[in-house]
Amino acid sequence: MADMNALELDSVRRAYGGVVAVDNVSIDVKRGEFVTLLGPSGSGKTSTLRLIGGFERPDAGAIRINGIRIDHLPAYQRDTTTIFQSGALFPHKTVAENVAYGLRMRGVAKADIAPRVKQALEVVRLSGYEQRYPAQLSGGQKQRVALARAMVVRPAILLFDEPLSALDLSLRLQLRAEIKRLHEEIGFSAIYVTHDQGEAMAMSSRIAVMRGGRIEQIDRPEKVFGEPANEFVYTFIGESCCLKARIVAGGAADSDGEPIDLRLSNPPGDGAWRLYIRPSRMHLGRADMPNGLKARLDFTEFLGDVHRYHFKAAKLELFVDHPGAVAHRPGDLVDIGWQTADMIAYQ
Amino acid sequence: MSIGTSEMSAPDAARRKAGLRARLAPWLLMAPALLIAVAFFGLPIAFMARMSFNEHIDQRFYVPGFTFDNYAAMLTDQTFRGALFTTMRLALISSVVTVVIGYAFAMLVWLKPKRWRLAFIALALCPLLISEISIIFGWWMFFPKNGLLSYALVSSGLITDKISLMYTEFAAFVGLTYVTLPFCFFILLSIFDGIDKKVLEASADLGSAPLRTFYEVLLPLTKGGIAAAFAQSFIWAVGTYATPSALGPDTLWTIGYLIQEQMLGKHNWPRAAAFSIVLTIGVALVMVIVRALTSKRTALNG
Amino acid sequence: MAETSILPTRNAAAIPALRARKDTIFLRILTFAFTVSIIAYIAIPMLVTLAMSFNDASAIRFPIKVWSLKWYGDFFASPQWVDALTSSIIIALGTTVISTVSGVLAAWAFERFTFVFKPLVYLLIMLPLFMPGVVLGLGVAMAFGDVSLLGINIYGSRALVMLAHSLWAMPLVFMLMEATFRTVDHRVVEASYDLGGRPLRTFLEIVLPSVSTGIISSALFAFVISLNEFVMALFLTTRDTQTLPVLMWLSLRSAGTPRLAVASVILAAAVFVSLSLIMVWYIRQLRKN
Repeated sequence: MADMNALELDSVRRAYGGVVAVDNVSIDVKRGEFVTLLGPSGSGKTSTLRLIGGFERPDAGAIRINGIRIDHLPAYQRDTTTIFQSGALFPHKTVAENVAYGLRMRGVAKADIAPRVKQALEVVRLSGYEQRYPAQLSGGQKQRVALARAMVVRPAILLFDEPLSALDLSLRLQLRAEIKRLHEEIGFSAIYVTHDQGEAMAMSSRIAVMRGGRIEQIDRPEKVFGEPANEFVYTFIGESCCLKARIVAGGAADSDGEPIDLRLSNPPGDGAWRLYIRPSRMHLGRADMPNGLKARLDFTEFLGDVHRYHFKAAKLELFVDHPGAVAHRPGDLVDIGWQTADMIAYQ
Repeated sequence: MSIGTSEMSAPDAARRKAGLRARLAPWLLMAPALLIAVAFFGLPIAFMARMSFNEHIDQRFYVPGFTFDNYAAMLTDQTFRGALFTTMRLALISSVVTVVIGYAFAMLVWLKPKRWRLAFIALALCPLLISEISIIFGWWMFFPKNGLLSYALVSSGLITDKISLMYTEFAAFVGLTYVTLPFCFFILLSIFDGIDKKVLEASADLGSAPLRTFYEVLLPLTKGGIAAAFAQSFIWAVGTYATPSALGPDTLWTIGYLIQEQMLGKHNWPRAAAFSIVLTIGVALVMVIVRALTSKRTALNG
Repeated sequence: MAETSILPTRNAAAIPALRARKDTIFLRILTFAFTVSIIAYIAIPMLVTLAMSFNDASAIRFPIKVWSLKWYGDFFASPQWVDALTSSIIIALGTTVISTVSGVLAAWAFERFTFVFKPLVYLLIMLPLFMPGVVLGLGVAMAFGDVSLLGINIYGSRALVMLAHSLWAMPLVFMLMEATFRTVDHRVVEASYDLGGRPLRTFLEIVLPSVSTGIISSALFAFVISLNEFVMALFLTTRDTQTLPVLMWLSLRSAGTPRLAVASVILAAAVFVSLSLIMVWYIRQLRKN
């Protein structure tokens, strides 16, 4: 029983009208695992979370918590709690009353409630805020109360519904680190929904990349980043440049009908290809590398850590991140080079 | 976990039960309201409809039967035709007056600085919060020969002899408008509040005189509100019979008054029921017509 | 008072300047006159009544020569008038409870669920609000005129008046609460379910408190409607259950005395006292958040 999954989704499907929002999704979340559902809007990640939370019922498939099937149960009978994007705190209840709510609903003995509330608020560093009302809290504090309120009942699995997306950047980073710390200390099981790949990378045990209601890949963050299952996963995670090229007889012929000056040391087979390289893996002024391209500098952006150089070659547009300033000026023809291992090709 | 087939059936049964509960829940929640509406509105209307075909013989309230006499009488009965005409005339004139005053009042409150707003709204709320009987009595002390109006005019030297406006149509209109004004005001104020005041400045910037701005900008924007306010006033004015009958001349018989007279005075239940049915149909017709007009307008605009 | 004209006339370039100024002055005078008239119009019956209630004489006659509380004493010394007042308050409280409970529940059903015949049900609930009191009173009187329940005649009972008054009060509560429920954040409701709150507990603990202002205001409206109504009550009460407005209407038909003014003031006072109690509650509620 020790290695039983906290949560299992088994071929879960949900359609709204004719639109399939969740399409045959299967996920197992082990005890203490932190699994992120990552995808663009409309990819079905929030719908999946709502099916787990019990706010929607699946059309087909099974959902099990600790091995027991629960998809027929309403939200209030499931051992899950959600941290909502808006916090969704009860505005007319104090912080302490908000945190105590789930305990009261679960019939926890009165004498046990107060110490557990106190402890939960300590964990999220909000001791002393017990008697405040949500309207008197900042956005970050509200989300911490929401976190305490969800965690205090010790659910089988915590559900995070983009909890940080309404906060500003610095607060987002701070809370992200805090959730990570709590996960390591307490070891709760969690499903975390986000469209922010940085958040997904930083926090997750595993990431499930979703598109169109399906899971495209589910794996550890470094695997998803380093060994994407397909083109969608590659392009969705991290930035990349796409070189469209038609290859004839082992050499690059043209891109969208215009001839280009593209060298490939180990070209894929003949045909139309999309070649992807990360902007940080391309090097400026390096005609000596195994792969290369001559392109005209269009304009430059300063991004803080790096300069981003935007190039045009035939109909291609690409950009290269370079740590320092270079002497090139817009209109110059520049050599760009990269290693074969840094390139990935899709047909 | 090797639960196999039994795992399938338990959730299905639970789901069916939950579905049934979800379908039943709204009806349970609405049960008290529906009970009131059906038992004390639907049933009485049906009862009245049946009653209106009964006969009235001698001094008995009604005698079961089936006759169209009570409706036929309306066509021939001078009193009823007079009352119908009076009711329509009163309601129409008072609604027009109410809408004009209510419109000006709402526009005033809309244009005035915010600090006046609450005071004006409190003022407009007053007629809503006091009983119609108190309103009647207030005007009843204002209009007669020994009333405040006459006293104020004489003591200020404007007139020499005491006057009485009591039991005139003017008094009836003053009272009726007083009752319907707040509804009208609040409907129109909510319409005005939905308009961006900048349209006025824009119009003025383009060189429009105030009157022209009103005519070409404000009036079209508030057309729907005017229709709604008019309908509301009209329906209220048709049904309010105490005010005109207490303040107006003795000859000012409205349908409402006639119904009361037939019921409490003459104990002619079938006749009273027939009048009520006609009044009910009239009110429903006004609602339908206004609905149709306003929805057509929005269909054209949107 | 007349610090702004009724319509701004900022750019007078297109109009001769003098005419524009004349227009503005004219509009200002018009606005001022209208403001004074409307205030006077609304205030007159109330002020006349208030003044008359402190009259010492028996006749309704201006000017008032001697002021006294005589008629207040007279009112409270008369069992008939005190009974009518008591009856009015009992009926108004009953109507408030009946219409608030039924209206709130129905509005919640409309907000929360989809079901068949929804527009039709909506019409059935709302329609009585637009019906003349005389029609409703007559209908209920005819339908329940000689119905008795457990040996007690329903006709003439206060309960019947409460239910009749609910025909106006309940749709009003329903209408106000439907709008109020729409402002409830559905995510907060979901959060309650999520934490294990069953539907009933969620409704009582989360939904109701967040619409408490709406409920209190609609309950007040229900109370006021019932307290002031006299046409339905006229058809449905007997001498024993007569309400104050009914008694006022009947005495006005025979002869008006300052006692009627006292009754008006007391009715209005009941309304304004409950209104201010609610104001106090509302301000305390605001301070809490």
